[in-house]
Amino acid sequence: MRQALLFTILLILLLVSVALQDLLPAIPIAQSRIQLLPIVFCFAMLALPLLPALYFALITALVQGLLVLQIQAGHSELGLTLPIVFFVSWAIVLQMSSEATHGMRWELHAAGCALVILTLLGGEFLVLCMKRGGFPLDVNIGLRILIPALVAPFIAPALYFGLRGLVPFTPDAGPVASQPSFNR
Amino acid sequence: MKKLQIAALAVLVVAIVSFCLLEAGTLSSLQSGLLGILSPITRSGGAVKKSISGIGKDLMTLEQLQKEYDRTLAENRRLRAENSGLRDLQSDNEHLRQVLGYRERSAFRLVPAAVLGHDAGAWWSTIKINRGSKDGIATDMPVITDRGLVGKTTAVSSDMSEVVLISDENCKVAAKVEGTKEQGISAGARDTAGELHLTFLSKLADLQPGQKVYTAGVSGGIFPSGLALGTVKSFHARELDGEAILEPTADLGDLEEVFVVTGAK
Repeated sequence: MRQALLFTILLILLLVSVALQDLLPAIPIAQSRIQLLPIVFCFAMLALPLLPALYFALITALVQGLLVLQIQAGHSELGLTLPIVFFVSWAIVLQMSSEATHGMRWELHAAGCALVILTLLGGEFLVLCMKRGGFPLDVNIGLRILIPALVAPFIAPALYFGLRGLVPFTPDAGPVASQPSFNR
Repeated sequence: MKKLQIAALAVLVVAIVSFCLLEAGTLSSLQSGLLGILSPITRSGGAVKKSISGIGKDLMTLEQLQKEYDRTLAENRRLRAENSGLRDLQSDNEHLRQVLGYRERSAFRLVPAAVLGHDAGAWWSTIKINRGSKDGIATDMPVITDRGLVGKTTAVSSDMSEVVLISDENCKVAAKVEGTKEQGISAGARDTAGELHLTFLSKLADLQPGQKVYTAGVSGGIFPSGLALGTVKSFHARELDGEAILEPTADLGDLEEVFVVTGAK
């Protein structure tokens, strides 16, 4: 029951983050955009147990995949396979990291956000290069990948502690349930 | 409990495989559905953003108000003079069209729309607007401002639509250069935010910075002819063709109000 409530809250936050990141102005350097969806995703991966986390990763992949979907001559340019593989893979990695560090940590969340954004934007760029041809990697492109990833660890703690306040209970958990605070 | 977890895992695997196999048409419908879900949040957020950004804008000193009044008065006089000139031109134009038997092509049915937000993705240039299928919007409709072409609608929900901007690599527009016979295809690029690349021009084209570029309006295309697209910034010959870099006429980074062309009058 608690997990279901936490899952629902995170799902709502995921949709809010998508709408909010579109409303935020671009960063003046290289017209980079702040990415909020990966920050909520990382939090969910650390806060939820494995199975709900995998479901959440699937939903995140669907949202992200549909957001960037472009139909060209009756064919989708990227489809949903790559986002699904990407987010499910990160779900497993973040779950394992969480186990390795004995529960949630804000540092892990911040670092995870930066890496997820870096690989997300870098991966999208590489896939587009393969699909559309050319490899126009220059300083401008590099900054557009790097800056959102560097900004994320500064936003992530605020979101982490904010979300922790929004969900002030310990989710049902197994062996680490006795740990203090918000550990799984 | 373990059986339940195995069943849930099996359902997840089936769902993943099913989503991976979806066709473009189904994906497009899902995208419209997602826009519909996001619409209330985006619209509320857009309204809050507008009211917050409007606070500073609305506050002006008396001196600023006087300056604004003078500027508006001068602008009004200029537009009146221009308008009277245009009226003559319009009657000439209509006469010529009648003589030549052309249909009236420059008059569009426009649906005004407010921009709710820009796409946060790094490689796609899209915006969301507060008009959808309820307002007669469909996919592949041109979107313009009073200054020129902005893009075309791609995904449409009942009360929100996504517009791909002309600065996106996937938004290709047939274009012609003012005062020349040069025609080409304009599109955005991954490595230059905001600029347009007009390709397939003649290698020997004599294009000068400042020359205006308009839509060519090819048969069966989406964009009607004669919409302002951009101005030439530079031109260079490539191995097989010529390429011009264009500055979009419409300010794509600061769009607030746009018009969707739903058809001819």
